[in-house]
Amino acid sequence: MPAQEGEDAPLLPPDTPLKIMEEEKPLLPGVTVRAATPERLVHLCVESFGDDGDLIDDSEYPSVLFLMHKWFMTSEELGKAFVDIYQSCDETILCTKPGCIHLHSNKGCEIQAYKAKICYAVRYWITNFPVHFDLDTHLKSVIRKFGTLVNSEGNHMFKELIDLSKVPSYDWMRNMSVRPGNSMRHNRKVSLVFNHLEPLELAEHLTWLEYKAFRRINFTDFKNYAMTASLKDNPKLERSIALFNGLSQWIQCMVLSKTTPQQRADVIVKFVNVAKKLRTLKNFNTLMSVVGGLTHSALARLAKTNACIPSETQKTMMEYTELLSSNNNFSNYRKVFNQCPGFKIPILGVHLKDLILLHTALPDRVEGNLINFRKMAQLSQTLKELTKLQNHEAPPVCANMDLVNTLRLSLDLHYTEDEIYELSLAREPRNSLSSVSETPSTPTKPVVFADWLAGVSPPDPNTINKHVHDMVEAVFKNYDHDKDGFISHAEFEAIAGNFPFIDSFCVLDADQDGMISKAEMKTYFFTANCHALRNSFKHDFHEYTYFKPTFCIHCTGLLWGLIKQGWKCKDCGINAHKHCKDLVVMECRSKQHAACNRRLDSVSNGPSPHQDLTYSSKRKMSQRQKRNRVHVGTQTEEAYFTDLSRHINGNWGIRDKLIAENKQLKEKLEQSNEQNIMLKSHLGVIRKNTIAFILEQMDALNIQRDTEV
Amino acid sequence: MFSCWTRRQKANMSKAKATQPQVIHKVIMVGSGGVGKSALTLQFMYDEFVEDYEPTKADSYRKKVVLDGEEVQIDILDTAGQEDYAAIRDNYFRSGEGFLCVFSITEQESFQATADFREQILRVKNDDNIPFLLVGNKADLEEKRQVTVDEAQQRAQQWSVPYVETSAKTRANVDKVFYDLMREIRSRKMEATRQSNGKPKKKKEKRRKCTLL
Repeated sequence: MPAQEGEDAPLLPPDTPLKIMEEEKPLLPGVTVRAATPERLVHLCVESFGDDGDLIDDSEYPSVLFLMHKWFMTSEELGKAFVDIYQSCDETILCTKPGCIHLHSNKGCEIQAYKAKICYAVRYWITNFPVHFDLDTHLKSVIRKFGTLVNSEGNHMFKELIDLSKVPSYDWMRNMSVRPGNSMRHNRKVSLVFNHLEPLELAEHLTWLEYKAFRRINFTDFKNYAMTASLKDNPKLERSIALFNGLSQWIQCMVLSKTTPQQRADVIVKFVNVAKKLRTLKNFNTLMSVVGGLTHSALARLAKTNACIPSETQKTMMEYTELLSSNNNFSNYRKVFNQCPGFKIPILGVHLKDLILLHTALPDRVEGNLINFRKMAQLSQTLKELTKLQNHEAPPVCANMDLVNTLRLSLDLHYTEDEIYELSLAREPRNSLSSVSETPSTPTKPVVFADWLAGVSPPDPNTINKHVHDMVEAVFKNYDHDKDGFISHAEFEAIAGNFPFIDSFCVLDADQDGMISKAEMKTYFFTANCHALRNSFKHDFHEYTYFKPTFCIHCTGLLWGLIKQGWKCKDCGINAHKHCKDLVVMECRSKQHAACNRRLDSVSNGPSPHQDLTYSSKRKMSQRQKRNRVHVGTQTEEAYFTDLSRHINGNWGIRDKLIAENKQLKEKLEQSNEQNIMLKSHLGVIRKNTIAFILEQMDALNIQRDTEV
Repeated sequence: MFSCWTRRQKANMSKAKATQPQVIHKVIMVGSGGVGKSALTLQFMYDEFVEDYEPTKADSYRKKVVLDGEEVQIDILDTAGQEDYAAIRDNYFRSGEGFLCVFSITEQESFQATADFREQILRVKNDDNIPFLLVGNKADLEEKRQVTVDEAQQRAQQWSVPYVETSAKTRANVDKVFYDLMREIRSRKMEATRQSNGKPKKKKEKRRKCTLL
């Protein structure tokens, strides 16, 4: 260390309590402090700079301090600390130069030299962490005031050093949603259809999404997560994790949406190829998500499918599983990651774990109130890597925004673990030997967009709305070849491939005109997503008296009694027992649906409106019941049946009756649907007639007026 | 790369190289975020206040212990920080031989979450008798208790697993949960070898506590 420090040390008042503890063996070059008061830390930072403004011995101390300071003080406080030191320089620094009057023009004045170092330190802060300045208005104003102070002393060289005007804008960090940058303008032609997508394209676009979500997470987000281990009030981190989970599940669903083992194997091979490209791009986070999806037990258990996967692909998959394995504290991954130069995206989860454990293991303050700087140095190693992307240039990919939009929505749609696993069981049922306690495999049934994963809350409706909008625009831009604002059946089928378990063409084509308009598509995707939101599970239940035998939507048991047998939802019309109504897992389908049914009932004079509703709701329920709910359901059902058997002989009788009733109701529904279509066409004719009539009348009026005139 | 090795780590490294096949029991810590999984892990691994803890080392979560006179290694996978990565949880669980399912007695939500963890573990391991302990942590915060001993015990009984309350702060029962779990794992392993050595039985009726040892 230069002479400066030696001279500075005796300046400390001798009677103060412990202000600094030194490291015996520095963890990082130049970080010699073990713990100290904030003031001492700032002094040390200033003293890390030489008279020429360069770092002494390439000390890493300033970078650690500037990176980590928010762990124990605000940027504003740190900025003020520098200003304070600057202002008190005249008293604290002893200038040994004979006859010096300590003006900036005095060469060799030690006070001026110290002041210069303070400015060098602040300049280092500005150039290496510009994001602190752009996002923190308090800090900005402190430094501006500092500039005025320096200027008033007449030192323009110093003023130049702490100039903030060249700080780039970090506006994008404030936003939640991912917007296309200017570099993305030169769109290249890509297909939006999964089957036609090249693995490289897919990998690049996933990397682009990952990069955009990842670099938004700032120091404070990481710090808060390390301290609370909760995603509450941490939307950016949450978004990144949602992307991770979404991708992993999308992969599982894309595989499971295929009916034959060979088809499923083909999708797996494709995603393994995507994984290869991700590895080349050094995007470890997305790689983890893809490999996690591919090796998830919902896919790993598919013996028939796995038999169709070529051995080479299996080898690659093994290799990646090994690379990302949690064995030996992720040692394989850590080794490879540390060796990778240039652009790379770390596995967020692994490093979050390091942060949490470090924070748990080490106290923030030691020896009374000294800041535990060794902890900061240790944390900085992880945080440096995590925050690096914020200043890194865009990944070496060129993204097509249409594809980005399509992918983004694909990844927004969430399924529960249980639903995916059930689907897996349906595709390739367990052989009876291996399981005793498991529920019998369920027949193939369509899976609908459902609950979000525990912990990660869904994006707010506005975000989803925006994603839907972007995606639909993208689809129309690329697939509405004749630009008439509609998409044909064939075109739709191609797009639908990206969204496993999307409803059929007819469902989207709400007005049944054989074409899908933009509005129809948007409405569909938005409501599909809305179903995923928890609040849509809320029903508006009211006590109700039924005049026909009606069944509970949840436990499928009869609603007993003479009056007020059960509770009915005012919005969607489903019925439930009092004790079941809070357990209903079916979302509240829009009033529109129910209204439509009601209208149909009243028009058709059908025998029993409630029964129709009961049937259709029952069917919906069977689609949606999740495995764990089924357990509950069966229990209630059993209880109900034992109860019932006292009244009627045996359960089978009822079951048969129900089956018969189901059949009947199904027929009725079909009839009603036919009637509905007929009525709709009637309506069309009537509308036409009415319009013609009105036009005639208007013409007549016009003529009348004309003649009167 | 940084080269600040502590004495203990050096010792671990050299020993790991020197000794060959040793029994390793793989334990996985599961539970919601913030229930103190990491604190329990660290308390067990490093006993007292750690000054020079290094979370990125390969052997940071591996420790030699003497289990009923036999020297074994315990390998702890702490899922802290990855609780919300639901999609890959499954992959972590696969490598575990035993599970400490931790909740905080001061947080009802974390207790509810244990049921989901349990279900997922059973599905992944496809084994109802997997060594598993239900752990109620933060027992030192009795005045903030939200989960009663009774309801926790009831749940444990329902799953036929032991329930233990711990405190990473006072170190109460910290060793107990890890050692109890290791004993379970060991007895499961011995059962498995006995079965493969003896007549290959199709299915074992019930898990039995190993009473020989």
